[in-house]
Amino acid sequence: MAIGGRRWRSQRRRKESSPAKGLRRRLNLFRAAAFLFVLIFLAQLGRMQISEGKHYQQQAELNRRRAILVPAERGVIYDRNGQLLVRNVPSFTAAIVSADLPNDKQAEVISKLERLLGVSGASVQEKIVEGRSRQPLYAPIPIQKGLDRETALILKEHQAELEGVVLLTESTRLYEEGSTFAQLLGYVGPISPEEYENLKGEGYDLNDKLGKTGLELTFEKELRGRPGVEEIEVDASGRKRETLSFQSPQPGQSLTLTIDGELQRKMTQYLAEGMGASQNAAAIAMDPRTGEVLGMVSLPSYNNNIFATIPDSQKLDSLVNDPRHPLLNHAIAGVYPPGSTFKIVTGTAALQEGVATPRTQITSTGQIVLRSQYDPQVQYVFRDWAALGSLDFYRAVAFSSDVYFYYLAGGYENFQGLGAGRLAQYARDFGFGQRTGIELPSEAEGLVPDPEWKWDNLKEPWLTGDTYHFGIGQGYVLATPLQMVNLVATVANGGSLFQPKLVRSITDSEGNVIKSFDSRLIRQVRVSNSYLAIMREGMRQAVELGTATTAKVPGMKVAGKTGTAESSVLGPDGKPITHGWFVGFAPYDDPQIAVVVFLERGNGAENAAPIAAKIMNYFFHRQDPPNPATKSGG
Amino acid sequence: MQRSFGYRFDISLFVVVFILVVFGMAMIYSTSRTDTASLLTGPGARQFIYALLGLILMMAAASTDYRLWGHIAPFLYVLMLALLIAVMVVGESSYGSRRWIDLAIFPLQPSEVAKLLMVIVLAKYLADHHKVKRLSFLLVSLLIVIVPAALVYFQPDLGTLMVFPAIWLGMVTVAGARSRHLLALAGTVAVAIPVVYRFVLHGYMRERIAVFLNPGADPLGAGYHTIQSEISVGSGGLWGKGFASGTQSQLNFLPHQTSDFIFSVVAEELGFVGAFILLALFLILLFRGLRIAVLARDGFGQLVAAGIVTMILSQIIINVGVNLRLLPITGIPLPFISYGGSSLITSFIALGILQSILTRHRRISFSG
Repeated sequence: MAIGGRRWRSQRRRKESSPAKGLRRRLNLFRAAAFLFVLIFLAQLGRMQISEGKHYQQQAELNRRRAILVPAERGVIYDRNGQLLVRNVPSFTAAIVSADLPNDKQAEVISKLERLLGVSGASVQEKIVEGRSRQPLYAPIPIQKGLDRETALILKEHQAELEGVVLLTESTRLYEEGSTFAQLLGYVGPISPEEYENLKGEGYDLNDKLGKTGLELTFEKELRGRPGVEEIEVDASGRKRETLSFQSPQPGQSLTLTIDGELQRKMTQYLAEGMGASQNAAAIAMDPRTGEVLGMVSLPSYNNNIFATIPDSQKLDSLVNDPRHPLLNHAIAGVYPPGSTFKIVTGTAALQEGVATPRTQITSTGQIVLRSQYDPQVQYVFRDWAALGSLDFYRAVAFSSDVYFYYLAGGYENFQGLGAGRLAQYARDFGFGQRTGIELPSEAEGLVPDPEWKWDNLKEPWLTGDTYHFGIGQGYVLATPLQMVNLVATVANGGSLFQPKLVRSITDSEGNVIKSFDSRLIRQVRVSNSYLAIMREGMRQAVELGTATTAKVPGMKVAGKTGTAESSVLGPDGKPITHGWFVGFAPYDDPQIAVVVFLERGNGAENAAPIAAKIMNYFFHRQDPPNPATKSGG
Repeated sequence: MQRSFGYRFDISLFVVVFILVVFGMAMIYSTSRTDTASLLTGPGARQFIYALLGLILMMAAASTDYRLWGHIAPFLYVLMLALLIAVMVVGESSYGSRRWIDLAIFPLQPSEVAKLLMVIVLAKYLADHHKVKRLSFLLVSLLIVIVPAALVYFQPDLGTLMVFPAIWLGMVTVAGARSRHLLALAGTVAVAIPVVYRFVLHGYMRERIAVFLNPGADPLGAGYHTIQSEISVGSGGLWGKGFASGTQSQLNFLPHQTSDFIFSVVAEELGFVGAFILLALFLILLFRGLRIAVLARDGFGQLVAAGIVTMILSQIIINVGVNLRLLPITGIPLPFISYGGSSLITSFIALGILQSILTRHRRISFSG
């Protein structure tokens, strides 16, 4: 055709009139314009496709590729005898994929859901609207979590008429005996925005769950395993087209605890039966040879299964607002004046420092009196709980004489005491005023006071009276039940202060031990074993004939010390309430168990010691004590 | 090659159009194939029916004396205005504007038909009065365009709105309008731009211009189309990702891919090479059209041919310009390629008229 065109031109050019020439010139303008635009387009195409092609290819890949985390099966937790304490069970969630739910069907589907699930239509509507604004159309919007199996089945049957409704299955935690182990195990819950900010680099996504407290939190890394990654191709609406690559998840590792599940159960029972009007109570049993915690109870407890799904807000509020703080593990996080149980520290320190010997005789007339150094008319009276007469060291421990320990701690007249500074040093040596490092979050430090502390915090000088109070575990000193059991375990084992531990070993999903935890010695305390032996003998006598006879266990030599600490809290009768304490160990000559029992309201001998006796009895005899339990005054 | 054959019917023009339409149908099929059934019922298949219909109407237009259209030009003008008014009254609404009239068999888009009618009406007016060198006459011809343009503005359809003045400019240029008149008008337009931007443009039009300047400000909202078409074109590279293998188009990241953004599909799947071939085909088409304008026996024929070329050229420039991120987003079909019956059939009829101008020229020149 082009030839034809040229021929025509050559023929016509001669005859062409001037207007025709003008026309041809103007039409050449069109050709030039068309050419120009095509050149511009080719330049732009070349820039975009050839020089910047790589950049755009990357963007196109980002568009279509999505990495989806495939959660790993979380590790489980066993007690020391291999009993399963938590497992994973499927949990069903009804969800709506809004891209599959036509607008004209929405009202119908919502009303059916209302009937099947018992949810309010308005709340479903709200969730759909909110979900649509937040996520891609093909991402399921959870409507109701934690459906029971039956409801899930009904939903499945009606799937055909429920357009856009899907049933999601995910793994959730089932704690076998929720409240018995809740304080130890903690629970797993949905990740919070703050946690997500910190953890998003470690393979967590926004809908993830993680350990919130307890061992679930401490061993989150091990229990969680490593999520797998499925790389998928999605279309613009976020719907999956195909799998591009798949990296399988690595299941979490399992924990084997030092806890004896049977003992834990019994401890919970005995403590609950014996706690009386106490707001809180705690008991810990420990193997003094290793620092392994055999049982740890804090009451009241809570059912950690309620956190496995979205907790019912009413239940959650009642837990959070409960004045007894059931969510707090009082065995490690509660700090209280230790009362007479602290005399173990004062006594061993006095022996080690030569302040006292087993034969040191002091007479308790029922009180000692100090005169004010400013005004001799003013007298301060420090009472004993009874006029116990002349006492040696063993008797003083056995009958828990306050006057005897006032002498040892603060001195009196010509008797040189330890003084607050040395007493504080020994208290710290035994682990007071610092966390033990047990594998649980929110452990408290307690408080070891000394003159410097008092000046810094109260702007008051330290008085001899303060030393007296300190010496009998009153005044400013505060300890956790865990610190107390660790103290008595250290006395029992000859001076080794162990880091208490809850986890014996970590195993992989096939049951192979990956890591076992040896006992970790914090330090050898500076009291020599011969002095500790004197204290053990005093504690033995306390149970045999002293204040702690209620801790006797048939056929077993028990050593122990009671404490009845005055609190600053007033009880219903207007008098300060007393905390009941017992610390002890057994058998006396070969200690295998150390125990602490703490009752927020009670008496050491009357209330705490009998509970400890039952616990030790169960530990050795694996049965409840014969009824009725021994009763005697304290 | 004999003259008698060459002027009877421009075979190369026909072949180019044929290739373009097949090219377009293939691209439409590529983006809309979901299963084998869609080969028979999908947009690709419907486009095939429109193409057949268009082919028949093209033949009819080719065998009809083009001067007939000139005789009924006033009627055509009224028809055009009626269609544009009708679409505002009974039109189907989509994406916030009324552009379609549901004709039961297929949706008619009056603004597509209006472009061709505009060419004929304007050609008749300019050809009948050889006074285009007069400014007043020039302004009256502009008024003829402004009335339907105003109706399009109210639909609103920014794309067609841009084609109307382009057609007018192309045709008055061919008619011989004085360049100083045109420059003066261009100057007036330039001065009026801020006023137009502030008071005449719809909010959505201003938004598109803002998005064009900075699409990253709202990448998932207003900037989405701009960004995704840019990614589609750029990621095509030299050779493309292969027919029916473009991730942007196959996974629907690219919006309106069978219509406004089909050029991006071509660029993604067939790469620079494919886009180059497509542009080359268009260039051949336009040059063949211009050749007919030169050969036309009368002023009316020249103007109609030039007008049709302008109509096609301006749509290509706007469509490809938008796809290559050289112009703000506006919905306009790529002639012969984009899916859509109104556009395709109108383009075919326009081609038929071009052929008619060519064949009448020969008959006259031999008899004369």
